[in-house]
Amino acid sequence: MYRLFLALRYLLTRPINLLGMLGIAVSVWALVVVVSLFTGFLAILEEHLQSASADLTVTALPQWAEWSALQPQLRDDDNVAGAAPRLVHHGLVMKPGQRTRTPPLPGRTSLSGGEQPFVFVIGIDATAEATVTGLTHWLADPAIAPALRVADRDQPFAGDDPRPRVLVGLERLIREGWQPGDEVRWTFATVASDADGNRTVRQHELALVVAGAYRTHHFGFDGNNVFLPIATLREALSLRPGSVHEVVVAVRDDRQLDATADRLARATARALERGNGFLYGTVQTWRERNQGELESVAHQRSLLKIVLVVIMVVAAFLMLATLSMMVTEKVADIGILTALGGTPLGVTQVFLSCGLAITAVGLVLGLLGGALTSIYLEEIRQALLATVGVDLFPAQVYNLTRVPSRLDPWWMVQVAGMALATGFLVSALPALRAARHDPLVSLRGN
Amino acid sequence: MTPPVLSAVAVTKSYQLGKREIPVLRGVDLAIAAGERVALLGASGAGKSTLLHVLGLLDTPSSGEIRYDGAPVQDRSVRERARLRHRHTGFVFQFYHLIPELTALQNVQLARMMGLSVLGYLGQRRRVRDEAAEWLGKVGLQDRLHHRPSELSGGERQRVAIARALITEPRVLLADEPTGNLDSATAQGVVDLLFAIQQERSLALLLVTHDEQLARRCDRLVRMQDGRVVASEPAGGTPAGAEA
Repeated sequence: MYRLFLALRYLLTRPINLLGMLGIAVSVWALVVVVSLFTGFLAILEEHLQSASADLTVTALPQWAEWSALQPQLRDDDNVAGAAPRLVHHGLVMKPGQRTRTPPLPGRTSLSGGEQPFVFVIGIDATAEATVTGLTHWLADPAIAPALRVADRDQPFAGDDPRPRVLVGLERLIREGWQPGDEVRWTFATVASDADGNRTVRQHELALVVAGAYRTHHFGFDGNNVFLPIATLREALSLRPGSVHEVVVAVRDDRQLDATADRLARATARALERGNGFLYGTVQTWRERNQGELESVAHQRSLLKIVLVVIMVVAAFLMLATLSMMVTEKVADIGILTALGGTPLGVTQVFLSCGLAITAVGLVLGLLGGALTSIYLEEIRQALLATVGVDLFPAQVYNLTRVPSRLDPWWMVQVAGMALATGFLVSALPALRAARHDPLVSLRGN
Repeated sequence: MTPPVLSAVAVTKSYQLGKREIPVLRGVDLAIAAGERVALLGASGAGKSTLLHVLGLLDTPSSGEIRYDGAPVQDRSVRERARLRHRHTGFVFQFYHLIPELTALQNVQLARMMGLSVLGYLGQRRRVRDEAAEWLGKVGLQDRLHHRPSELSGGERQRVAIARALITEPRVLLADEPTGNLDSATAQGVVDLLFAIQQERSLALLLVTHDEQLARRCDRLVRMQDGRVVASEPAGGTPAGAEA
C-alpha cells in the first residue's frame, strides 16, 4: 500500500510532473487527431475513387483484342454481373477558337482534375456501361443543375444532331462555361506506320456537341475524362469494329474481388491465346487501378505518424528528466523506507508507480481529448472560422464539404500501447536508479 | 532460559575501498534482553552506527551471526529481512528522516502501511489512522497531526519519528543519537518520552550516543573502540524498572 500512497503524494506535491503528463497527453492527442483526419481522408478518397471506378478492369489488351472474343469468356464467370467495352484515347477538348490556358499548380490539378484542356476521351457503350459502372447515377447527381443534365439518362448520347455527343465532368463544364448543345472540338493525334515501319503523326479534329454533365465523387476523374460513344471513337481512330482497349467489369460479390480478378485474368489470356506462351491482358481491381493515389495518402499518413511519434519521444525525455529530478530529491527517503521494512523492489515500485501514473493520466487525457477533437473536428473548424477567421482545413481545397475524420480504434490501442511502453521505459530507468541507491548513505547523511 | 531478543555473535564487518579492505567491526558480541536499555558509546568511527545497522538488518555482517530471539537471521532473504525489520525493530535516527511531503499523521501511518496490501489497508484504514493519531497523542502531538515536518520543531519531529518507530509494536528499538540534533532541554524531553515508552512496553533499547550523562540513564554501557566492544558494564544510573 505504501508504494501507491507515496507515489501519489510525491506526484501531488510536485507540479513539475504535470509537464511530463502534459507532454504525453499532447503527443497522444496529436497522434489520434492527425491519424483520424488522414484515416477519414483516406476513407473518403477510397469512396470517391470507387464511385468513379468499375470493380474490375481488364486492361493492357493487345491491338487484335476483340470484344466479341472476350465477352463470353468474362460473362462466363459466376461472380461477373456485367461487362462493358471501352476505348481510350486523349486530346484537347476546347470550344472553337478557345486558347489553351496556362496549366495550374500541380497540387490543385491532381486533386480537382484538369484545369486545362487535355483530357482522356473514353469511348463507351452507354447501355452496357450502365450495367457496370454508376453512369446512370453520375448523370443524375443532385449537384447537376437541370439545365446541365442530359436529356435521357438511359441514352445519354441520343439526339437529332448528327455530330457526336460528349459527356463532360460537371466541374469542367461549369468552369468552361459550356452548356448542353454547345459545340466543342476534340483535337487529337494518331500515329500511322507504313510498310517500311516509318511512323507518321497525324493531327485530327472532330466537332462534338456537349450532351450534358456527369458527376462522380472523384473530382480528379471528372476533371480529366470525357465520354463519347464507343462507335465515334472507333471511327475517329480508324479501328476495326469490335476492337477494344479495356473492359470494365462489375462483380456480384465484392468480397471475392481478388479471386475473381485472378479467374478473369486466366479467362482473358485464354480468349487472347496465340499459342506463343504469352499471357495477354491484365485484370486490376479498382483499388489496384488507383493504387498510386491511395498509397500516396497512406504514405503521408505513415510519415506523419513517424513525425508524431518523435513528439512522444520528446515527451518521454521530458518525463525522464522530471522523474530523474524527483529520484535525486527523494533519495533521502529511501533510507527510512528501507528501515521501515521496504525492499529495493518496493522502492522501485514507488517511483515506477509515479511514472506509470503520469503516463496513464496523460494517456487518458490525450485519448479523450483526441477522440473528442476528432469527433467534433468540423465543429471546431467552424467555430475557429467564425471567431478568429482562421480556417485550419480549407475543405474546398480538397473538394470536400467538411473535414473528414474517422477514429481508428486499433490505432488508438496502438497509441495507448506505445505510450504505456514509453512511459514504463522512462519510469523504469530512474526507478532502478533509486533501487540501487544504498539506503545507509541516506540514513547516515542529513 | 529465555534467549536475548537481539544478539550479535562474533560479528565482523568490512568495507572494500578500492583494493583495500577496511574493517569496521572486528568480532563484536552483544546481547540485549527484553526490557533492557543499553547505551552504545564510542568515539566517531568506532563502529557504533555500523553495528546498529547490522543489528537492524539494514546491513549484512561480513561474518558472525545476528540473532532475533536466538534464531540467526543474517542470511535470510531480502524480503524476509525487510519483514523482520518491519515487525521486530523500530528505528529512531538523529536526523528524524520524516518524509517532507507527508503530515505527521501520514508519516506515522506510513509505517503501518508498509506491511499491508492495498486491500488490507483499505479494510482497516480507519483503524490505522486512529492508531497513528493515538501514538501521536502519546508523544504529545495530538494538536499537530496535520502539520508537515517543515512546520514542526526539531523536538516535535523526533517525537513523530518515535511514534512512527513504535506504531508497528516492535520488540527492539534502535536509536542512533536521537538527541544529537536537539538542544538540551528538548533532548531531555525526548529522552524522557523514549524511556517511558520503552519501560511501559518492555522494549529492548539500544541507544547509540556520545552523551555520557544520557548513557548513564541506561541499564548497561557498552563501549566500542576500533570496531571492538572494549567494555560492557552496568551504567550505574537509574535501572529501567525503577523509572517513572
